[in-house]
Amino acid sequence: MTQPERSASAAGEARVVALVSSGRHPVSGRAGRAREDARAVEMGLALAGASLHLAHAGDAEDAALPEYLGMFHGLEGAGGPGELSLLPMAAGDDAVPLLANWLEAYGANLVLTGQRAECGEGSGLLPYLLAERLGWAVATGVAAIEHYAGDRVTVLQALPQGQRRRLEVRLPCLLCVDGVAPMPRQSAFGPSRRGRVEAVANVTAEPDTLQAAWQWQPARARPKRLKVVKSTNARDRFKAAAAKSSASGGQVLTDLSPEEAAEKLIDYLRRERILTAPSGE
Amino acid sequence: MLQTLLPILIFAALAVGAAGAVRRIRLWRQGRRTPMRWHRLVLMPKRYLNDLHHVVARDKAIAHTHVATAGGFVAAMALALVVHGFGWRNPILGGLLLAASLCMFIGALAVNRRRIDPPAKLSKGPWQRLSKSLLAYSVGMFLVSLPLVGVAPTVLGGGVLALILLALVAWGLAEMLIGMGWGGPMKHAFAGTFHLAFHRRPERFDDQHRDVAHDVHRGSRSTALFPLDLTAKTLGVEKPADFQWEQLLGFDACVQCGRCQNVCPAYAAGQPLNPKKLIQDMVVGMAGGSDARYAGSGYPGIEVGKHHGGPTDAIVPQLVEAQTLWACTTCRACVEECPMMIEHVDAIVDMRRFITLERGETPEKGAAAIDNLIATDNPGGLDNASRLDWAADLDIPRIQQRPEGVDVLLWLGDGAFDMRNQRTLRSLVKILRAAEVDFAVLGDEERDSGDVARRLGDEATFQRLAERNIATLSRYRFQRIVTADPHSFHVLGREYGAFGGDYVVKHHSTFIAELFDAGRLSVKAAEPGETVTYHDPCYLGRYNGEFAAPRQVLAALGVEVAEMERSGYRSRCCGGGGGAALSDVPGKARIPDMRMEDVRETGATTVAVACPQCTAMLEGVVEPRPQVKDLAELVAAALAEPAAAPTARNSTEAPEEVPA
Amino acid sequence: MSVRRLDPHAERARRNRLHPRHLEFARPAWRWTSADGVTRINPHALGAIGPNGIKRIDRSGASVEAAAGGTQASAEPSRRQVTIDTPTAYVAVVPELPEGRLSDHDRDLLGLARQLAEARGGAETGVAVVAVTFQAEVAGLEEAGADRRIDLSSQVDADSYAPEARLAALAAVETALAPAHWIFADDFPGGGDLGRRLAARLALAGDAAARAARAATRVWQFADGQTLSRAGDRQDIQRDVARVLLALPECAEPVSDTRHAATLLDLDASAGDASAAPGVIDRGRVAVDPQQIPLAQAPFILSAGRGVSDWEGYHHAAKVLGASEGASRVAVDDGYMPRARQVGATGTFVSASCYVAVGISGAVQHLQGITKCQRVVAINSDPSCDMVKRADFAIIGDGDAVLAAVCSQLGQPQPQPESGDSRHEEVRHDAA
Repeated sequence: MTQPERSASAAGEARVVALVSSGRHPVSGRAGRAREDARAVEMGLALAGASLHLAHAGDAEDAALPEYLGMFHGLEGAGGPGELSLLPMAAGDDAVPLLANWLEAYGANLVLTGQRAECGEGSGLLPYLLAERLGWAVATGVAAIEHYAGDRVTVLQALPQGQRRRLEVRLPCLLCVDGVAPMPRQSAFGPSRRGRVEAVANVTAEPDTLQAAWQWQPARARPKRLKVVKSTNARDRFKAAAAKSSASGGQVLTDLSPEEAAEKLIDYLRRERILTAPSGE
Repeated sequence: MLQTLLPILIFAALAVGAAGAVRRIRLWRQGRRTPMRWHRLVLMPKRYLNDLHHVVARDKAIAHTHVATAGGFVAAMALALVVHGFGWRNPILGGLLLAASLCMFIGALAVNRRRIDPPAKLSKGPWQRLSKSLLAYSVGMFLVSLPLVGVAPTVLGGGVLALILLALVAWGLAEMLIGMGWGGPMKHAFAGTFHLAFHRRPERFDDQHRDVAHDVHRGSRSTALFPLDLTAKTLGVEKPADFQWEQLLGFDACVQCGRCQNVCPAYAAGQPLNPKKLIQDMVVGMAGGSDARYAGSGYPGIEVGKHHGGPTDAIVPQLVEAQTLWACTTCRACVEECPMMIEHVDAIVDMRRFITLERGETPEKGAAAIDNLIATDNPGGLDNASRLDWAADLDIPRIQQRPEGVDVLLWLGDGAFDMRNQRTLRSLVKILRAAEVDFAVLGDEERDSGDVARRLGDEATFQRLAERNIATLSRYRFQRIVTADPHSFHVLGREYGAFGGDYVVKHHSTFIAELFDAGRLSVKAAEPGETVTYHDPCYLGRYNGEFAAPRQVLAALGVEVAEMERSGYRSRCCGGGGGAALSDVPGKARIPDMRMEDVRETGATTVAVACPQCTAMLEGVVEPRPQVKDLAELVAAALAEPAAAPTARNSTEAPEEVPA
Repeated sequence: MSVRRLDPHAERARRNRLHPRHLEFARPAWRWTSADGVTRINPHALGAIGPNGIKRIDRSGASVEAAAGGTQASAEPSRRQVTIDTPTAYVAVVPELPEGRLSDHDRDLLGLARQLAEARGGAETGVAVVAVTFQAEVAGLEEAGADRRIDLSSQVDADSYAPEARLAALAAVETALAPAHWIFADDFPGGGDLGRRLAARLALAGDAAARAARAATRVWQFADGQTLSRAGDRQDIQRDVARVLLALPECAEPVSDTRHAATLLDLDASAGDASAAPGVIDRGRVAVDPQQIPLAQAPFILSAGRGVSDWEGYHHAAKVLGASEGASRVAVDDGYMPRARQVGATGTFVSASCYVAVGISGAVQHLQGITKCQRVVAINSDPSCDMVKRADFAIIGDGDAVLAAVCSQLGQPQPQPESGDSRHEEVRHDAA
């Protein structure tokens, strides 16, 4: 893990906020830190140290909140207890206006959060709705923050197959942290006990009317797609159903000298664009 | 000249030593205060002569040496104070003084011989000097006292010879009295005295305890960890001053004999832990300074002299590396062996508590296990509802269906998720059925006992699990709990008491032995030719004193038991306790490999075990090796098949009471 | 559709068993399609006399087909052509197009779009599926089910990540066509990102009705006029079809029996000029050390097994090729490779686009671990081993020698560690 560089001035005035949500354990469904949100907090702690501020819209009694606050340890400097601003609302309320107003009032500069919540709607729309409302930039799939100074932050975005892309994002912005970001630190009991949850006064949550028309049901297992062969004759359908998968066999080259074999292999890899063709530098 | 100088010398040494002693006491009292119980000082002689001597006497030669030297010194010092100090020159007292000095001289000679080519476990440095000082004091005191009985000419009272004698006595007094107060090797006598009196676990000296009767120990096996007040300002021990003052006093009593170092499995495996060095580091931390003056074996792989500490400085990592603390398997071999009754494991767990609860730096796999315990109630992160999947075909009665209560609640432990241990559990169920025991299980209401969380220092998670388990158990009626897991056995039986859970808990070896005694199990004759050895699990043996029952079971099976050199209370740990398998500190060898080597030395083809953790660790040793079988498996395999199949239906009828 | 033509001579010869050329014509006709489209089989024309003199009918048809010379080889059933002249409404699909091609996921999205279009009346009422691409020349849109296509490659650079420019281009499409539904792949950081941006834009900028239409994410089924979305905590949301749908793979069956026009729609390219400075600027790909990529995600794996003896050479080859290292269980058990590098059912399931197995015979568990690999290359001295059978490209020979030859042909033979082209000396970034 590389520590992000940051200029002193930016870190000094910067208000880094991590939006956290209540996670659900995949096996037990018990409330706890959400996978991606915990990584967002970790990223924020690496960037801003103990000055990172947490925010949560929801229930004050949520078991996840102390767990996030328990991550405020091992920080440089004073390392005071973690602080979390709680915007009280019920499960059916709309978090977007609450958070947007609070972020504006707080003067947040960089907001970190996970890509998708593990409970409720879990649509992953919230950062985008916030960004649209506030007119901020938003970047998703963030795996690391490389540089944070002035009016820009440089991040690495996770791409499929372990690849990375460097992005420069204008501040203020929202960064959605991907699950491949560095592992979050352990949540310790002591700091979690000392962490402060402060309910923000004078906020009234509006119920989310859109959800009223929806029906919630326990998730059904997704049906496994059958390989349906649309053929007019039964033999082909039978063959397709009974065939051993991909035993077709590809090209087999025998009796080659190692040099010839290497040549063929390199040709194949270049043809398949695995290896880049020799550039004429 | 002698008669004028000797009292001055003695009283000066006493005064300087007393000043040092006051300073020393101040050092101890930096720790967290507890109410003083002065009357405990009265208990000291009994504890010294009885309990401590019992431990020391495991090595007869050392015991005799110590009796001669220490006894001689105490007598000689007391008499010298009267005779030379206060000038009561009674020939009888003089004679006694000569005899005491002689006795001490003989002891000191033995000490000296041991110091010529000292074994590796002993510390050198000042401890090498001590044997010479003992000789100097005894010889000096002897010769100085000769005139009292009129043997030597009074010429001794003047001249060079007198000066030499005085110097000898001065040397001896400096070492004995001044060194006692100011931190020389003799400090152990002074600190040890108070340590015995104010020991944090007075039950260890209690002869009237209600633990197993056939234990080799006189005192109770007071092995439960102390509960941590989760509302305290700091959790666990960050700096030496965070220890309770009795603990600091205990560290100061260390004689650096190295018995703990000799038995520590982590030290033998080349992991960076040495209990002796750890205790000395605590002393360094308490007094402030660096560990450069330590003259014994260090932590394997860590150089001596690079660490320093102070009473209010953080211990990790300036004084002790975190790796050192995580290498401990909490096997208590060091505590068992310590002649000064020092509690190493308590200290290590106290420091781990700080690392886990305040710093959140539990080793990676340990942290994952704790997270899983919080989220799923088992360290593997598995669905707790699958706890009984292995028994789908066994039709095991659930306690929820038995509101009237059962005789035995079978506590499965987390081994229920492990395929290897499921074989053991199936065997145990077979045995219980064969003996027609009325038993039931909690099913998915059972949670991890909290053992791993507690040893890893996460007292918060442990207490949460304990409270929930106690709440669950309070809803059902049963006579006793039987478990095949010594860790659950220990935690349920000894550690839940502090949280309001008092149960009769029996390890399955004890329970099976009782079934044999009651004649409720019949077994086929053992096949001859197979040699079996038995590996004592730490949490069954050293923690709970149950050494006999497993051996009774093996005897009942008619197998020949070849004992390992280190068995019983000296059994070597498998390396799986205390979360050590999770923290997985690298060393030169693996602890289970060393233990399997012990097994091989006996020539046994099978090693009988009684703990899921030991089974897993020992089976992890690469083949070819003796096979690893749980006691339950051995018994189940030897069961004489009853004519009628034992069924669950029989078990609902109330069986006759088992004689306990 | 091909017109079925009859050869009267052949027909006559087929009917007349005594015709000298009867067999020549009759034999292939063991199976035919009647005028009603029903498959007819003539059992008399089937089978062969077995060794015992008994006629055997091989219903698998293998022998007959072989005899028939494969003239009737299973041609894919012909697709029905669907054309819409004047669309009245649109369902827009933004396919992912990894590597410039339609992926399976994209076909599913188009299949979902077709289902939604059918639900609104289909081709009869003029509901057209329009594929919005940021790349020109996308092949296969016709078969995948697009009636129209919009090519935005002139406005947005296809290769760089410019979500705001893309969003502006999509907003222009929205103004022009006002599609009934937008369908994206719910996949970060591609369609999942873009779709949410569009959804947020529509939700906050539009009128009350648009605002009410919050995007449906992780849609995995469309049935009875409603969609099912996977929500956070093991729950599904059933709701009316939203305006913006972000759909998971296998959300619908791909189109298989129709063929569409995929006519290019020309929109005014005036919109989409980035008015403000972009908030997110792409600074290009970052070289990632292949050894730092978690094995399960690695795109290119060079895996070694028992057949490798020159381990130095193998590590070097992995470096030269820029491949992540993998290993069979044997190589791990023997201590040549760390446990974390083991591929297979007992190790890591990998999903590389190219998996090169050197000296791995291909135990079942190992093959299970590589089922998701797109291309498998085997280098093995045993031509009969399972890995060679599984491989798309196999070289029979000594793995060590081939790897050494590959390194030297790429200009980096092993004994010269200082050699190496600049490509491999870039600063690698920690991907972990």
